[in-house]
Amino acid sequence: MRHVRFRVFAVAAVLVTVAATALPTWSQTKVTPKGKLTLAWHAGFASRWLDPQEHDGTATPDNFFTAIHDGLIKNQGTTLYDHPALAEKFAVAPDAKSATFTLRRGTTFHNGDPVTVQDVKFSYENYRGAKADVFKNRTERIELVDDRTVRFVFKEPFLDFAILFGTANVTAPGWVVPEKYYKQVGPDAFKQKPVGAGPYKLVRQEPGVKIELEAFDGYYRPVHTKHLVMVAVPEAATRVAMLERGEADIVYNIPGPLIPKVSKMPGVTLAPVLSGSFFLEFPGFQDPKNPFHDKRVREAVSLAIDRRAMNEAETAGMGKVTGNWINDDVQYAIDWPEFPRNVEKAKQLLREAGYPNGFEFSWITPLPTFYSRGERIIAQLREVGIRGRLQTMERGIFFQKLRGGMKEFPGIQMILHGVRIAGSWSFWYEAYFKCGGANSRDRVCVKDLDAKFDRYEKSINAAERKKLAEEIQRGILENHYLVPVFRHAFVNAIGPRVTAQKWQDIFPTITTGYAYPWEDIKVKE
Amino acid sequence: MTQFIVRRILYSIVTLFILSGTIFLVVRMTGDPVLLLAEAGASTEDLDRVRQQWGLDRSWPVQYLAFMENAVRGELGKSFNYRMPVSELYFERLPNSLILGLAATAISLLVGVPAGIVSAVKVNSWWDNAAKGIGLLGLSIPGFWLGLVLILVFSVWLRWLPTSGAGDWRHVVMPAVALGWYFAASMLRLTRSSMLEVLGSEYIKLAKLKGLPEVVVIGMHAFKNALIPVLTLAGVNMVVMINAAVIVEVIFAWPGIGRLLYEGIFQRDFPLVQGVVIMAGFMIVGINLVVDVVYALIDPRIRLTR
Repeated sequence: MRHVRFRVFAVAAVLVTVAATALPTWSQTKVTPKGKLTLAWHAGFASRWLDPQEHDGTATPDNFFTAIHDGLIKNQGTTLYDHPALAEKFAVAPDAKSATFTLRRGTTFHNGDPVTVQDVKFSYENYRGAKADVFKNRTERIELVDDRTVRFVFKEPFLDFAILFGTANVTAPGWVVPEKYYKQVGPDAFKQKPVGAGPYKLVRQEPGVKIELEAFDGYYRPVHTKHLVMVAVPEAATRVAMLERGEADIVYNIPGPLIPKVSKMPGVTLAPVLSGSFFLEFPGFQDPKNPFHDKRVREAVSLAIDRRAMNEAETAGMGKVTGNWINDDVQYAIDWPEFPRNVEKAKQLLREAGYPNGFEFSWITPLPTFYSRGERIIAQLREVGIRGRLQTMERGIFFQKLRGGMKEFPGIQMILHGVRIAGSWSFWYEAYFKCGGANSRDRVCVKDLDAKFDRYEKSINAAERKKLAEEIQRGILENHYLVPVFRHAFVNAIGPRVTAQKWQDIFPTITTGYAYPWEDIKVKE
Repeated sequence: MTQFIVRRILYSIVTLFILSGTIFLVVRMTGDPVLLLAEAGASTEDLDRVRQQWGLDRSWPVQYLAFMENAVRGELGKSFNYRMPVSELYFERLPNSLILGLAATAISLLVGVPAGIVSAVKVNSWWDNAAKGIGLLGLSIPGFWLGLVLILVFSVWLRWLPTSGAGDWRHVVMPAVALGWYFAASMLRLTRSSMLEVLGSEYIKLAKLKGLPEVVVIGMHAFKNALIPVLTLAGVNMVVMINAAVIVEVIFAWPGIGRLLYEGIFQRDFPLVQGVVIMAGFMIVGINLVVDVVYALIDPRIRLTR
């Protein structure tokens, strides 16, 4: 489906059209699902994670959505956001003022009701989770073109629509729930007994403890494993024991000290999925009285950090030392060479900046609970004469303080962030660098880069956007406004009953740390 | 007697009232739960909307009154995290906690009481030293460490028992031992001191002088009287084990009330934490009330002196 209404956008059309007319390439071969797969989850379960209508904006719910529900388009494998799912094709108009989706034929929800365009409209309009306001404010109307075609019409060009709409670990207005059932039972009861159009249907739920699922034979793709059980096991050592005994087939989040043990277990494969990026922020560095105001001091900090040692100690070397603070699995993220470690040069830069004996800072506050990473940075900075102490916080308090802005981080401070956001580089900038951003608030304000970002946001020219995105990222890295440390590895393990040649067979989706698509996983009899 | 019971009931109500106020304030001092309910980049308007949705935009006194009004009607509010009534969640987990609490109480009594008796009867002997050593270990070994060691030995090495979760009797063994171990030690020490006190009393000496066999003196005369404080402690311990076995339930992924409390604290789920604490307080106050009344019935001096 294509609209070429506006000549003025003729050139842009070629660049910005993200039409995905590719038909499904998967096999339609019918398989009989067999066996049982048990996943040991690393925390408690929150019921809201079973309802796409209330996506909390974190990377967590997509583990559950991808089993029970389905979206029109989604992130899957190496596809960032436009993998056709309930929609067999979609197109964004060249002027980016509408997007049209064509539903796959014959798809049904677990209760037998067909997936209709009305369900799509309801799910979008009723969506009240993360970034709901972005979609609501920009959407003019939804047209039900025919019984398989739905068109979202926007008030103004909405270039990020598809990437937001299709990234399950950011937002979920495109994840379709059955309108009739949802209204009948209400949002709270829906969370207890969700009905979706995904590869697995709910059999039983013990809130916070266990979710038992069964293969849905009406799914449009082959589902290989009959029973999927997700068990919440907060203690890491217990999860590892479950794996060793064969009580669990996939175990999430193995902490560093247990990795050597798991790596020696016969038949067990470690799956070190690259996850969040850790980077340093200098709150209020714009203030000329702040030592970090001087670019040479920020560079000295960067030169003092031993990133490889950090990666080795914290994730048994399974993370990755990268040059950019933005993960490379998002749109327009640039590659940047690894920052070197050079203690002598760092000392020289400090001397040049007027700190021959270094200086003291108040605190470094790492993302809870990664306190040991903060301690390592303190030790490494001490080598060049920058001395400070560790401040630990409970997770909720940490985010509360981030939102409080500069007044919560007075004096000379550093924050060690750990962030993973899928989709686009701009989501990272918006949240952690933009002046007034959700987490950056007034701690980081670089006017010229923010001005460029405003241009980026307003532009509907893809080439210009890409150029601006790259310029802004270069500006941050060349000036050491943020200092990248390394990419954390979310280390999981796969038991011997799961059929896999390599760990990427079970964790193929690059934008997540979880094992979906669930329907593809096979277990041995 | 009626006056005594009425007075005790009034004391219990006041205690629960103070507890409810304390827990209400304490959970709110931990911070804003809305930050954990909304996504990291949520706008201020979104946060306000969530706050309003859960009634957290109202003043604390108004919230407290609403909480108490519901509590009196037997409603403990709706969990932020599970979107279910707290009472429903509580009673769903209660059977598991009862099983674990009863099993752990049985272990603590079966280990602690006989060991305490032997220790007292054979005071300053090898037996006594061994029992004191066990008591010291029991009180000093952390539950999480013991739990992990049990899993390693009995699940991973010997493969006798499942690592975690709830199911048949085999699932109960390790969490009950890990939980009951500490309480067994406290039982042992209390039984020992209680028995030593009774064994030194005049009527025991008389019984011995009359030529009664030692088994009869200890079993029929000394143990019966020494048992009263032990059973009282066992009752209170059981309530604690049912409602606050947080660490053991987390280690063994046991779906009980302790883990529910842990999840509530972790997620700043105010209604859940308040509900669990109030229910635990209700049980403890209830048991104490029953014990006080029974004591007063048995011994009239108690009701006269209070």
